[in-house]
Amino acid sequence: MTARWRAALDGGLGDRKTRMLGLLLIGLGALGTIVMRDDANFETVFVASLVAGSVLGRWWTVIVPMAILGIVEPVLWGGPYAIYSSHVILGLTFFIVTGFLFVGIVGRRLKPRVVFRVKSIALLTTVSIPMTIAYDLWTDVGEYAFIASPMGLTFWNVLEAQVPFTLYHLLSSLIFVPLFGTGILMLHALGWPHAEEETAPAEPSDES
Amino acid sequence: MVPRMSERLQAIVFVVVLAVAISGLYAYIQLSQPPPVTASGVEQVSLFIDGGTWTISYGPVETSNNTAYSLLLEASTRLGFPVQAVQYSIPNGVFVTSINGTTNGQDGRYWQFWVDGTYPQVGADHVALADGDTVTWRFTSDQGGTL
Repeated sequence: MTARWRAALDGGLGDRKTRMLGLLLIGLGALGTIVMRDDANFETVFVASLVAGSVLGRWWTVIVPMAILGIVEPVLWGGPYAIYSSHVILGLTFFIVTGFLFVGIVGRRLKPRVVFRVKSIALLTTVSIPMTIAYDLWTDVGEYAFIASPMGLTFWNVLEAQVPFTLYHLLSSLIFVPLFGTGILMLHALGWPHAEEETAPAEPSDES
Repeated sequence: MVPRMSERLQAIVFVVVLAVAISGLYAYIQLSQPPPVTASGVEQVSLFIDGGTWTISYGPVETSNNTAYSLLLEASTRLGFPVQAVQYSIPNGVFVTSINGTTNGQDGRYWQFWVDGTYPQVGADHVALADGDTVTWRFTSDQGGTL
């Protein structure tokens, strides 16, 4: 039974390098979003979810966005969400969680075409544009259902108000997708820098 | 037949296209921000705050605080009631979260404001007042429209 669980874990999480990259994405995604939490729609959960799906695949497609949101959302609940009641926060969180899961799954669909090449970074960056707009439209549905509709606003009012935020979200994606994508793809293709290589002698020794 | 670009050339083209896209988008966002209000004196401006179970009236006064937000802060200082607000950069503007202890979100109501009965589409710090204007702050779940 233990061996079966271990095999399932190994299959789901991948090798040591993949696990390290998964944890790195979780760390970068959470840290970036918390650091930039005062700049609306400048965040790193989107890019971490997309890169997790398209580069790491496996369980990381789900683990990365869920783990980042598990860290980030409680921080945001005490900040910009603090003015909302708990049912509004839970409703918005549902749309945010499912939105980022969708981003990860779309990334997973791209995985076979994503290798350490300029074309792959360009593909990820290009795909991030409609994905960012789709994610914002989805979360707009949540904002309409839980905030705007009770205030008597229409869905069109929500879309109008969303425009500047989506522009910033697009800017965020255009900056972070190439950065994260290049870094993670490079580490995935070339591996981590080895400590042994740094300590190895630069020239052959004459002592032998 | 189109010759294949080398990886290095592809990288250069990609970085250039990306830089143009990011710069263009950033420039558009900056240009679409509401313009700042130039400070100037206004006369006979008034403020009325309706918190649901309480009201505050201020003015008419002559003042150099010529935005809906700065007039609220002036009244807050003169009459001694607290105001809390959050400054947003996207879109650029202030969002009032609490006046005189009444905080946004209570019973689904939020602080909203009108200038001479008209609901502005920008933050209170970006609405320039003219002589004789009346700013109304109301704690309500209704949104927009004319008072």
